[in-house]
Amino acid sequence: MRKLIMLCSCFMLIVLAGCSQPPKPSNKIILWHWMTDRNDTFQKLAQQYKQETGIEVTIQLFAPSDSYSQKVIAAAQANVLPDIYGVLDKKSIVADFIKAGLVADLTDAMQADGASWESSLFDKALADKRFDAGNSYGVKPGIYGVPIDVTNEQMVYNKKLLAKAGIATPPRTYEEFIKDAQALKRVGITPFVSGWGELWLLDCFASNYAFNIMGEEKIFATYRGQVKYTDSDWIKVFNVFAELRNKGVLIDGIVTKGNKYAEQDFALERAAFAFNGSWSVNVYHDMNPSLDYGVIPPPPVSTLHPLKIWGSAGSTFVVNAGSPNKDKAIAFLKWLTTKEQQVVLAQETNNLPSNKEALSVISPILEEFAKGMDQSTHPNIWPLNEDPSVSEAFDKGIQDIIIGEKTQEQVAQDVQKVKDFQMAKGNH
Amino acid sequence: MKTNRYVFWGMTQSTFIHIFLMGSALTCLFPLFWMVRCSFMTIETVFVDKALIPHHLNLGNFAIAWTKGNFAVYFLNSVIYTACVVTGIVFISSLAAFAFSRLKFPGKDIIFYMFVAAMMIPLPGFFVALFVLMTKLHLINTRFGYVLCMINMGLSMSILLLKTFFDKMPKDLEDAARIDGCSKIGIWWNVALPLARPAIAVIVIFNSLNVWNEYILATLLLSDAKLMPLQRGLMVFQGANSVDYPVLMAGLTMAAVPIIMVYLVMQKYIVKGLSGAVVG
Repeated sequence: MRKLIMLCSCFMLIVLAGCSQPPKPSNKIILWHWMTDRNDTFQKLAQQYKQETGIEVTIQLFAPSDSYSQKVIAAAQANVLPDIYGVLDKKSIVADFIKAGLVADLTDAMQADGASWESSLFDKALADKRFDAGNSYGVKPGIYGVPIDVTNEQMVYNKKLLAKAGIATPPRTYEEFIKDAQALKRVGITPFVSGWGELWLLDCFASNYAFNIMGEEKIFATYRGQVKYTDSDWIKVFNVFAELRNKGVLIDGIVTKGNKYAEQDFALERAAFAFNGSWSVNVYHDMNPSLDYGVIPPPPVSTLHPLKIWGSAGSTFVVNAGSPNKDKAIAFLKWLTTKEQQVVLAQETNNLPSNKEALSVISPILEEFAKGMDQSTHPNIWPLNEDPSVSEAFDKGIQDIIIGEKTQEQVAQDVQKVKDFQMAKGNH
Repeated sequence: MKTNRYVFWGMTQSTFIHIFLMGSALTCLFPLFWMVRCSFMTIETVFVDKALIPHHLNLGNFAIAWTKGNFAVYFLNSVIYTACVVTGIVFISSLAAFAFSRLKFPGKDIIFYMFVAAMMIPLPGFFVALFVLMTKLHLINTRFGYVLCMINMGLSMSILLLKTFFDKMPKDLEDAARIDGCSKIGIWWNVALPLARPAIAVIVIFNSLNVWNEYILATLLLSDAKLMPLQRGLMVFQGANSVDYPVLMAGLTMAAVPIIMVYLVMQKYIVKGLSGAVVG
């Protein structure tokens, strides 16, 4: 029996020892991704890259994104990550990958040749994987990711339904929007739909108006605990939702509606306005190719501060710092984000390109979305973020206002209570 | 008069039971019907046409699903995986269950309970460990590695089910076989296995269903698209933000046919197998 155990142990040692050979550089690079709808275009571009450079890029798709993330985490622990991959998680997890030596610093490559690569890309898209000096994650300052597209969230409107209600141009102010909503209601059209059953989308809409009503300094002062949620400006933010409810602007059941169902409502012309992201161009096209619609930022309620929309990198790739083909992987990503390849990606996949120069040849509807990038911001690039439990209380409070369970003042007090509790615990 | 009341009560009871059963059957069959219905529609009509039978039948979705989803390769892979994994599970679990039920060896109960406890661990719980182990053993991205892991996943429940069966096998049968000159393996092969046919049928159906619909482990362990099972083909129609429902439904319909056939072929054993009432 002992001999058998010894034999088995020796066999296992031989097997395990065989796998510790370091990988060698080659003309083959492997890219892992999760984007089912972009896979065919990636494959096509990889073929083209091979013809141009002789370097073979193997594109491997793992979908859905949850399964992909699990694979990346498992591969990171086994130290078998591919040359190029994406980390689909919050910035703190990306920071952990960087600190573990699994993500290459791309700053030098980005800033070579007078920073031509860096300057060709949307700054806000780069900011998603940029770590500044003194960042709270303890990461060496630098750029660690390459965005291949960008997204932003705005309002879309159905031109046919607006015309039916006698509305010639989309609203430019919140007052006009409410007036248009009344006109739509008079002809039996539901004015507005959004997937506010998903808190992030509701949070996004609310923060747009918070920026417009009080400006970013006051928002961050609130996050630091220097301004209370019971402040009159925050009440004004809550008032926006109370008014939307009181004037019957919102579709029934909006606070339980998932975004997929809200997208169906807009695509099938059951509502005239929707709040959604630029990815919806694909969704609306698939559901109703003849849908005639336009894009506007949420109409501002105040003229004191600019209204900011959320916008950032859509999908970002990183390079494996331990890859023997690191330089080739960086070169491929640089090639993938040049104007020519970005145009192909934008035209074939209907996503906003990350390269600013590619904007000149995209579809008109994507171009309308692209205009919003100048006034975009994103929690990932803010100097500080609100505690998640406070954000949750804030978003759920807005849902309570919409269904008429609480007043704006009650919600403000509830949110402030959670904030006070978190402050007492030392968060922020 | 009394008889009439009993007849009336019996008929009423039977009517209600049948209505209830028909309702249950409808709730089970309706999603299948809806899947087939949607597979004959187009992306333009799938959200608009509310009729039970679509006004315009579109047969092209099946051809698109087959070619665009690369079903030929994935179908073959799934058949190979299902056949290998189910055979492996039946072979190993029947041997193990027979040993746990009829043999005496030290630590028998502890080892058995360890197997049963393995059922309680959710799949994502051992993702990382499994991935690292398979990488170290050079079995990552291989058919063999995936089959081994899938066999491992199906063993616990199969052993538990078969052990319950073998526990009920009369000792006399075993003694008679031994008198006739059967070894322990001979008893397993000639006596225990034929008697456990209903339980094996249940194991075959459950595990076939499991392997046929499995995708998470395949994504974790396999990288090469040529090695992926059928579910990978269905993923092609589910974009990050949008889904091609009619083609997806056509793909799902095609994917469901073989497993429904397995179920129909083996259904007569299912009730016997699940109740455990066979041996004797």
